[in-house]
Amino acid sequence: MKTVTRLLASCLLAASVAALAQGAPPPTKPADPVTGEPAQAAPTAAPAASDGGVGSIAPTAGTGTGAAPVAAPAPAPKKIDPKLFDDALNDYFAGRPKDAAPKLFDYTENVPSTDENYAWAQFFLARSLIELKLNHAGAVYLARIARERTNPAVLTKALEELQLLTDRPHDEVMIDEQVFGALDLGFLPEEIAGYAHYQQGLVDLRVGNERWATTHFSKLPEGGSEASRAKYAMLVTRLKQAKKDLPKEMIDQFFELAKDPKLTQDARNDAMLAVARLRYELADFTGALDAYNLVKLPSLDPGRAALYLEEAWTRYQLGQVHAAMGLLTTLDAPSFREEFLPDKFLLKALIYRDLCHYLPAKRSAKELTRRYSESLDAVRERDDLTRDPRLLRAASARGSTRRARVFLESLELEGEQLGRYAGTFGERMFGYMTRVYDLSRAEAVRIYQQRLTESVRVEADKLLRAAEQVRLMEYEVGLKLYERVKKGSKLVALLEEEPLKTNQVSFKFADEYWNDELRTYRFSLKSRCIEETAR
Amino acid sequence: MRRLSLVLCVLLASSALAQVQELENPGVTSAIQDRPYRMLHELDIWVGVLPLDAFYVGVYAQLSYSYHFSDRFAWQVGRGAYGLAARTALRGELERTYGVQPTANDEVQFFVGSDVMWKPLYGKLAVLNRAVIHGEVHLLGGATLFRFTNSGFRPGINLGGGGRIFVNKYVSFRFDMTHNIVLPTGGGTTSFGNVMTVNLGLALNFGGND
Repeated sequence: MKTVTRLLASCLLAASVAALAQGAPPPTKPADPVTGEPAQAAPTAAPAASDGGVGSIAPTAGTGTGAAPVAAPAPAPKKIDPKLFDDALNDYFAGRPKDAAPKLFDYTENVPSTDENYAWAQFFLARSLIELKLNHAGAVYLARIARERTNPAVLTKALEELQLLTDRPHDEVMIDEQVFGALDLGFLPEEIAGYAHYQQGLVDLRVGNERWATTHFSKLPEGGSEASRAKYAMLVTRLKQAKKDLPKEMIDQFFELAKDPKLTQDARNDAMLAVARLRYELADFTGALDAYNLVKLPSLDPGRAALYLEEAWTRYQLGQVHAAMGLLTTLDAPSFREEFLPDKFLLKALIYRDLCHYLPAKRSAKELTRRYSESLDAVRERDDLTRDPRLLRAASARGSTRRARVFLESLELEGEQLGRYAGTFGERMFGYMTRVYDLSRAEAVRIYQQRLTESVRVEADKLLRAAEQVRLMEYEVGLKLYERVKKGSKLVALLEEEPLKTNQVSFKFADEYWNDELRTYRFSLKSRCIEETAR
Repeated sequence: MRRLSLVLCVLLASSALAQVQELENPGVTSAIQDRPYRMLHELDIWVGVLPLDAFYVGVYAQLSYSYHFSDRFAWQVGRGAYGLAARTALRGELERTYGVQPTANDEVQFFVGSDVMWKPLYGKLAVLNRAVIHGEVHLLGGATLFRFTNSGFRPGINLGGGGRIFVNKYVSFRFDMTHNIVLPTGGGTTSFGNVMTVNLGLALNFGGND
């Protein structure tokens, strides 16, 4: 039992604080204590240019950096009619971004950066590309405006657009670190400066400069959403540093954040989960359960598998084995079929064992090794774990690896969409955009692989620990199965099922999962312990 | 003898199979949910029709009040309806062709009544996999006092059922269909009558969800 508790504690500790908002991965610690996401090494090899390496691609054929082929001589700038800019703007404001984009591209490529409309042309080119669902290409131009700073009025607008883009899958290195993380904050309007301070604070936190981060965070307007997110980030960092001796006041601070309306519901839920996990660590299981119940899910949302599993462990610790088993039923729902939860089988086996149903207990324990046999073989054979589909899925489903995967997928999708504009954009612009996407994709693949290698190892560790626990469980249950019942054995206390209240209704589960029922399943099984010992 | 052995073998095998199933997957899982909608004082506004009579279709408006003792039982304390008769083509033809007097047909003018309500079915429906709506089905049994145009007041036994769809804690829609067996008393009548009611109501609930 101690082993199980230890395993549980480590799992829960590893699954504790949410990612630092949308920031990049934590740099040094082996695992994030709140999200449980494997800590990644920060992407070390930053691209040459501040826009992810694409800024240095000249719009002529084959002039990209690194992977790009040998540069061809750039064509001399052609004479541009100043009316082209006006035409392009007319197209843009008439709702024809497809027509506006090539004109604006032509304009930006053929006028000097000192031209009064140069920055505006870049900005509207970026807006056109975003409207054509080429978000990354748009972000590249916006990042270029932020880097070149030729027109302060455009710069503010570009930063606002970039901030909006951060809500979607985006290039974290290019936008979060190299634009917002490196901005000179003196000239910015308050709203943008707040976000930039927040991002720069996050960067400082990641590299372990808490004092600098505090300086940035102290400049955030009090009562704003960034201030709340910064508080959360600070708490998460402190929690990581105080792993062995959990400070109790942190629970209250997380609890306060969980009620902060300025945070998104997701962030509030993360804070509440942190409260639950910390209480669990302190063996306050009732408090932990209260916190789990306060996690608010949107109507008919299936919720998170980790939430259900953790709640199941908590209920198990409280002796509510029937409710715990109900939650394990939830985890069998199609919504969670792809989830990597080796603990689930262990807990199921424990519950059956506690109810003296030894055969099902043994079967549940074996289910883990059966279901993950290929992954376990891959670990034992020291194969490339990123090729194991289960481990790959598990590793790329959370935290920074997930963000890297989602960004890579969005790049691939946008790259495909770009093909639709081959005719409209013209050879030069299309060639340039293709190289932008190729280079960004190569960098995104590199970052994803780097994060994946680390997180897949963490998942494999998790699996190995669970497999070890299961073997112990199998042995223990095997002994119980053939144990002789001695005369005068004491009766085992019954694990009572909670009776149905008058305001409750019971829907018998018949292999059909309803999203509104996922948190309410209850398992009914009489303990056989009395019958066996009373014989 | 051989046949008996065969039957015994089949029975034993099926019983063993059930035992194996029970051993492998013991226990029952249920979703235990708080009822989101519970009724206490219910006020209904109805519109309905009396479709059974071949000579007229009665259209009526009704008000009723029900008290819900529990989620299973309720008492529709009182209901009262006043109707207007819309004559059918058959009646017009009878009057035109055969000279039947218009007063010869007995029509329901108004009626009052009371019923007990048993609500054995409660459930939910998935609407295009996007929403869940809750509802219940009930059975009704009670008495009605009718006022007919010719035979005056006559009592009846009311039996029927209906359903309810909840909109929120305070509002629900009800659809009831009942059949009244009108007793042969009063107005000189000697035979049983039949009055069927079909009605749709807006139900307002006060209390019950606290």
